[in-house]
Amino acid sequence: MMIRYVILAFLPFLAIFLQSTLFSFYSIRGTIPDLVLMFVVFFAIINGERPGTIYGFLCGLLEDLYMGRLIGLNALCKAIVGYSLGKMQGNVFKENMLVGVLGVLAGTIINSLVMLILVLLVSGFPVAGSDFLVKTLYQCLYNLLLSIPIYFWYFNSSHNGLLKA
Amino acid sequence: MFRLLRNKYFWAVILIVIISLSIMRMTAAPRQEATVAENIIHNLYSPFQKWTGNIRGNWGGISYIFSEKRSLIERIDTLEEKNKQLSLDNQMLREYQSEAERLKKILKFKEANIKKYTLLEARVIARSPNNWYKTIVINRGENHGVYYGMPVITPEGLVGKIMRVNNTTAEVNLLTDREMAVGVILQRTRETNGLVEGLGDGNLLRMGNIPYYSSAEVNDRVITSGLSTTYPKGIDVGIISKISREPNGLLLTAEVKPVVDFDRLEEVMVIIDYIPSTESDEVK
Repeated sequence: MMIRYVILAFLPFLAIFLQSTLFSFYSIRGTIPDLVLMFVVFFAIINGERPGTIYGFLCGLLEDLYMGRLIGLNALCKAIVGYSLGKMQGNVFKENMLVGVLGVLAGTIINSLVMLILVLLVSGFPVAGSDFLVKTLYQCLYNLLLSIPIYFWYFNSSHNGLLKA
Repeated sequence: MFRLLRNKYFWAVILIVIISLSIMRMTAAPRQEATVAENIIHNLYSPFQKWTGNIRGNWGGISYIFSEKRSLIERIDTLEEKNKQLSLDNQMLREYQSEAERLKKILKFKEANIKKYTLLEARVIARSPNNWYKTIVINRGENHGVYYGMPVITPEGLVGKIMRVNNTTAEVNLLTDREMAVGVILQRTRETNGLVEGLGDGNLLRMGNIPYYSSAEVNDRVITSGLSTTYPKGIDVGIISKISREPNGLLLTAEVKPVVDFDRLEEVMVIIDYIPSTESDEVK
């Protein structure tokens, strides 16, 4: 039981580490995947909306503190992603790989949109320029690709493995 | 509706959202001091990032040995050719330099050359973990004499400036980041005190504030003007790739292609003893 919490806390740490080192040196057209978002989506799909919201908020906060700019931005974005994807729990067959993949797709789009709106609201200028859509598209693709093996592991782990509640 | 107002979770969520938005607002502008929480997280990451930086460095060396011999020989040939050309150029430039120095002495100009600054070499160990911010992490920090606001360059040109410092690592904002702006002039005509801004975009900068009568042309080289308090004068920034008129018709904007390839930065140099000219005047 204890080990589950340790791993849940460790995953976003690992994700940020990989994003800042491995993936940023091997990016697709300067676009890197969002592993933190992926873990939030999977957690929300499996555990429901309230745990999903809280987990999303905490993961986003960690990311924000690491980056040190507009602290709270990712926390709110990922909380909203966690909430909306958590709504799916109980209505979908989680065993289906497609649920994880489409969840990540929806999560990436929601995350980007909410981020765009929040940044415009707070600082008055868009977070990225004209290439916002292109970047979001590339990120969707990259995320989709990675979500297949990661959801496979995450789902199995939360039913029979280390992440079992 | 009224039932929602009596729900304590509803109020908790509203409170958290308001707190988050106000913290976002507070941390929107660049800050010199990082909070304790940020420092703890950065210090947690820095040993791992340094470690992977080393592995990457070593792996680069190993794969180099295995790469083809013939391509290496070809490369040596082209480099030798280039070397000859450069040493010829150098002779010419030395002559110009001595001439310039003589003239400067006559005119009592102050020496403003990049040569006189102390450079600290650093290796890039990590990059921004998201797509919207353009930053790198280098393996030099406060222990090596790196502080907030120091300019970062490569032999090709300007990279950015130090935004956050830990004990052994520092975060550099790249020129392409949206928060960055540099005062520049055109090298050929010495005119236009323009401003080059990052677009948050991979490898493109925008130069604004060019008056409509400017003689700026495509392929003009853009260098730092020395008017901003952060960067010394005369560092290469980029080359103009496109000029267009702004809707109001009074100003031009230019797209600038940076001379540094920001996607492939591996080693950079920090200028650790630059004092902005206005301050150094007062000191003297």
